[in-house]
Amino acid sequence: MNMIDIENVSFAYSGKVEALKNVSLCVRKGEWVTILGHNGSGKSTLAKLIVGLLKPQTGTIRVDGVELSERTVYDIRKKVGIVFQNPDNQFVGVTVRDDIAFGLENLQIPREEMVERIERYAKRVDMYSYLNKEPQALSGGQKQRVAIAGILAMRTEAIIFDEATSMLDPDGRKRILSYMRKLRDEGVTVVTITHDMREAVQSDRIVVLKDGEVLKADKSENVLKDKETLEQSNLELLLPLEVLHGLEKKKSTNEELKEFLWQLSLNG
Amino acid sequence: MNRIVIGRYIPGNSFLYRMDPRTKLIAMILLMVGVFLIQSFLHMFVALALVTLILVFGRLSVKRVYLGLRPLVFLLMFTFLFQVLFNRQGELLYSLALHYTILNLSLAFMVVLLWGFTKRFIRFRLLYFLGAVVGIFALLHSISFGVVLGEGTFAVYEQGLSTAFFIMVRLIIIITLSTILTITTKPTDLNLGLESILRPLRVLRINAEEIAMIIAISLRYIPTLLEEANKIMLAQASRGVDFQEGKLKDKVIQVVSLLVPMFIISFQRSDDLANAMEARSFVPGQERTRLHILRWSKLDTVALACTSLALAGVVLLRVVGW
Repeated sequence: MNMIDIENVSFAYSGKVEALKNVSLCVRKGEWVTILGHNGSGKSTLAKLIVGLLKPQTGTIRVDGVELSERTVYDIRKKVGIVFQNPDNQFVGVTVRDDIAFGLENLQIPREEMVERIERYAKRVDMYSYLNKEPQALSGGQKQRVAIAGILAMRTEAIIFDEATSMLDPDGRKRILSYMRKLRDEGVTVVTITHDMREAVQSDRIVVLKDGEVLKADKSENVLKDKETLEQSNLELLLPLEVLHGLEKKKSTNEELKEFLWQLSLNG
Repeated sequence: MNRIVIGRYIPGNSFLYRMDPRTKLIAMILLMVGVFLIQSFLHMFVALALVTLILVFGRLSVKRVYLGLRPLVFLLMFTFLFQVLFNRQGELLYSLALHYTILNLSLAFMVVLLWGFTKRFIRFRLLYFLGAVVGIFALLHSISFGVVLGEGTFAVYEQGLSTAFFIMVRLIIIITLSTILTITTKPTDLNLGLESILRPLRVLRINAEEIAMIIAISLRYIPTLLEEANKIMLAQASRGVDFQEGKLKDKVIQVVSLLVPMFIISFQRSDDLANAMEARSFVPGQERTRLHILRWSKLDTVALACTSLALAGVVLLRVVGW
């Protein structure tokens, strides 16, 4: 069964700039899907549409079989959580504890259960010892982990990571990616929105967006091998894949391969 | 900007920290009303002594509160001087004849220039400023030869001096009381206390929760925005902007160049935050459960009784006319 169904969705900001054009895609339950695209491809707009922060001009969005509308948007937000790009702009509470509690208070979870969930999910993202800390005392990666704990505590069935690692250092990025993997293994539906190929590699499927249109949607392996599509959408190929494509082109000798790798390194 | 103490919570452990935020808020309001009702010098000194005692018994650093007052010293001085110079009611206490001659006016102008050029090298600028003002008055009083352009007097009246004193001490007490409140109360608790106190306003269809949420988010984002302002100032300083020195016109341009990006960033942040809040199922006006629960203790009853008695005492003194 599909967790998210998007059919013929179009959206334009202020009725002028068309961010999404007739987009259709689906995300199955328990699947990890990456929405890949360069800046301005419409991927963040798509994330906001799924959680009902924006309203599509045409088309329908279904979450767990329920069509998104003004009436159902609050129920849908109980099923889909979202972690945004800038960890500073989503920290509502005065302390880590308060911030994790924010979503739970909104869902009217009883206090005792709230306390239990806050501690459990703070431990899960290694932020237990920071529960009484204020946001100023945390690094970007730590704030992002708090944001993830806040969504995990709400126990949503799907989580969207909207460029959630783009402002983090390599360590922070690795950590968040490991959480994504664990979540998928536990059966949570994960949607990552990124322009970073290294993130996309680990997901089950990739949807490539370009100028508001779906360029390709397939298994990760197939998309990553499709050099033409990736180049068309201005995405940078990963080094091993470049090598792979280079090797596939012609059977190279060791010397030719060395030269090819050298040229590749020089071109960044 | 980091020296501002007002609005900051500083962890500690004293009876002030153990009190319910509602008690502290109500007590602060009662004491402030009391301070405004006081009319005698003696009572004002007693009030000032009581506030100092609260600081001492509350194990709060007097120095820290004083440091919090420092950014407001200019405002306090201005209020004091304004009253002393322009309130001419009551008995004349002191009068100083001033002569406006070309020589002493030129000298006064030179003192102003000297002060303007040298103030950046002086550590105690306020004292230096006061010294310059006294120097100008001394010049205008003592030099009377040469072409006299006019005569004047610097007069201090009883009413002016007493009003200046009362306004200044009242301001000091009020700022100290609010600093005590914010230093000893976590923003979350302050928010809950405020929400609880404002709840009866529901009768007037005023949503206390929303007001409390607005205040909580404002408090939460003060440090973030200060940090942002610092970053912009550093970025601009690296491109040659000097926020410390320069003419008034330059300073106005510099402040505008800081305010414009700050406004843009604030609007961007508020938009992102609103999205994050909505995505986490926040619906304005909808019932929410609470992680923090306020608990009333005997200490709160005693504290509230004491402040109520103090206010009653001040009202009584005012009615009796002591």
